[in-house]
Amino acid sequence: MTDFPSQVESLRPQLLRFARTQLRNEAWAEDAVSDTLLAALEKPQSFAGLSQLKTWLVGVLKHKLVDQLRRHAREATALTDEDAQDLDDGLFDSSGHWRTPPVDWGDPEAHCNRREFFEVLEACVEHLPSAQGRVFMMREWLELDSAEICKELQITTTNLWVLLHRARLRLRECLQMRWFDGRPAPT
Amino acid sequence: MKLLPTCRDVTRLVLEGEERPLLLTERWAMRLHWLICDACRNFRQQSAGMRVVMDRWRKYRAED
Repeated sequence: MTDFPSQVESLRPQLLRFARTQLRNEAWAEDAVSDTLLAALEKPQSFAGLSQLKTWLVGVLKHKLVDQLRRHAREATALTDEDAQDLDDGLFDSSGHWRTPPVDWGDPEAHCNRREFFEVLEACVEHLPSAQGRVFMMREWLELDSAEICKELQITTTNLWVLLHRARLRLRECLQMRWFDGRPAPT
Repeated sequence: MKLLPTCRDVTRLVLEGEERPLLLTERWAMRLHWLICDACRNFRQQSAGMRVVMDRWRKYRAED
């Protein structure tokens, strides 16, 4: 059994990975993870194994991530050119019909049994433009609702909905291209 | 909400439905549209599927 500080330290890479996908900024991610590890070391507790320690640390990290997002709200919600791009014109023709109609994806559970599916999903989330990626992760991974996200980031509901709309459409496109295309149609 | 929304309108409603309760008129308009549009029915299915996927993804990340 290794000592508590080295156990905590051994989880740093994974916490950093989570912090990066949420924050999309190396310096903020380092700060959030350092705050988390420090909080843990200041208040050593006993855990039944590394996985329980990890669960606890991730819980602490999630709060530190929201702290960072609140602190850097203006920068976190600054739109890149990609964030600002309206996808609808590419997806729908002038009469409002799909240019490429969505197809049947089959049973989602069947895909979730494959580790590769989550790897593709994570890659697609990482490819989202940064503001879209941040709000999408706040919504889906931090599990904050619209009102909470708007409050922390100081943006309007309309702005948030536009970002989530674009993020979800981009993610759908990416999964279609990188996972569902080239797979046999569901039976 | 128009009684006969386009696929573009219905897509926006499906996605907004993740963030706010939709009005009765909006839900009717969507249901009418789904009766005649395979593509938007598939999109609705994909969106519902994504909710399942996100739930499983959170668990996958927690256990990974």
